[in-house]
Amino acid sequence: MEVLIHYQSVDIYRQENLVLKNVEMELRKGEFLYIIGKVGSGKSSLLKSMYADIPIGSGVGRVLGYDVKHIKNKQIPFLRRKLGIVFQDFQLLTDRSVNENLAFVLKATGWKKKVEIDTRIHEVLVQVGMERKGYKMPHELSGGEQQRIVIARALLNNPEIILADEPTGNLDPQTADQIVKLLKGISETGTAVIMATHNLKFLKEYPARVLCCKDEKLEPMELIHDLLV
Amino acid sequence: MGRKQTQTTASFFNAKLTSTISTSLVLFLLGLTTLLILVTQDLSAYVKENIGFSIIISDNVKEAEIQKMTKQLEKAPYVKEIQHISKEQALEELKEELGEDPEAFLGFNPLLASVEIKLKSEYANNDSIAIIEKSLKKNSDIRDILYRKDLIQAVNDNVRRISIIFIILASVLMIISFALISNTIRLTVYSKRFTIYTMKLVGAKDSFIRSPFIWGNIGSGIIAAIFANAMLAALLYGINNEVDGVIQLISPDVMIATGVVVLVAGILLTGISAYFAVNKYLNMKYNKLFLV
Repeated sequence: MEVLIHYQSVDIYRQENLVLKNVEMELRKGEFLYIIGKVGSGKSSLLKSMYADIPIGSGVGRVLGYDVKHIKNKQIPFLRRKLGIVFQDFQLLTDRSVNENLAFVLKATGWKKKVEIDTRIHEVLVQVGMERKGYKMPHELSGGEQQRIVIARALLNNPEIILADEPTGNLDPQTADQIVKLLKGISETGTAVIMATHNLKFLKEYPARVLCCKDEKLEPMELIHDLLV
Repeated sequence: MGRKQTQTTASFFNAKLTSTISTSLVLFLLGLTTLLILVTQDLSAYVKENIGFSIIISDNVKEAEIQKMTKQLEKAPYVKEIQHISKEQALEELKEELGEDPEAFLGFNPLLASVEIKLKSEYANNDSIAIIEKSLKKNSDIRDILYRKDLIQAVNDNVRRISIIFIILASVLMIISFALISNTIRLTVYSKRFTIYTMKLVGAKDSFIRSPFIWGNIGSGIIAAIFANAMLAALLYGINNEVDGVIQLISPDVMIATGVVVLVAGILLTGISAYFAVNKYLNMKYNKLFLV
């Protein structure tokens, strides 16, 4: 299986503070990976380092062929186009409708033809079950609906990896469950998904590989069942 | 939902309108200064072109030769207007002034023929006249060259002083207008700083994020410039109604130039301001967006 993300003895800092030390990890094509840990344990920082929002301190970090340690500002947009990012706080463009939000991403990534743009927007909205809400403004949608739109946005350019940072953090249990199910379904179509969460319930319902952030370290967890009992 | 939609569009329209109005007021002031500077330049050229000197021709020179000399001088680069005054004409003028004929009791015409020269504005200063004088004096037919050194000096000094004041005024106004316009635009961009950050997160290139801001602001810059020009036109019309003939002081060239200056300033000031305002937030780290 193709390796999409490769981190080797990576240190991750927020400002001057070391949050994760000596991170070793790999993500392969089509894999679903949980990153768990307490609030402030570095889950978000790890994901942010993958889409070059924060720099990595030392070590080797490769994401989809980009060296995230030495990546130039000009290359960052191109890395992000290959990733689908799902944010805990949605990060929708609040000044325009759902359709325009999605159209912005497509236009920003070089789509020109209106018919193709409309078709693709419809496809992803169907995928997340929101095909009838395209005309709404983000603030008119519920949290769960907004999160679905964010997932739809992440899917637009058929990314190889979806990075989901606490995608269920703001949602009620039922909606959260639907979102994880959606992400799990996406991973089964060949897109790798990394999901950061502190909700251990999902690990049992949708089992997959788990990495745990604890005491500035990222470690594999084999004994999920022990944890959940 | 429909109601909400109208509300957001309305407030956006208001924000845009407010910034367009402040831009147009600044451009109006800028246009007014431009107009003043250009009119002053026209006036100073007009005043200077009334400056001239007289060439007094020696008594023994024949009329035909004077005419030949006049023809030659007409081609000189510094001549705006040239007029040959013969002995007889000079006498006629003096007669009118004095009310009696000096020839009657003197028995001869005591006056000398002369050539009056009006200078082009760029030659209407003492230094140039001194050089012209030197070259003309080589001609033995010319007896003397008369001009009012002190007057020419005074005109030149005043024109220079006024120009300097206006240039300083214009530069200060330019700086103020740039500051005001860029602050207005920075405020509108500031309100979109999180949008800009989100756009970056979804993989938009800096230039792609920047361009709608720049074009949108240039658009309002053009509208503001049209407003400003309309206000200038209304002002001139109003003044002309009060004080007749003011409009004649302002040539069509000056009016067109002012309009163009206002339009170009509107486009450049808004475009450049938007470029820098967006760049500021494009290069900003997420954490800092909350602190600015």
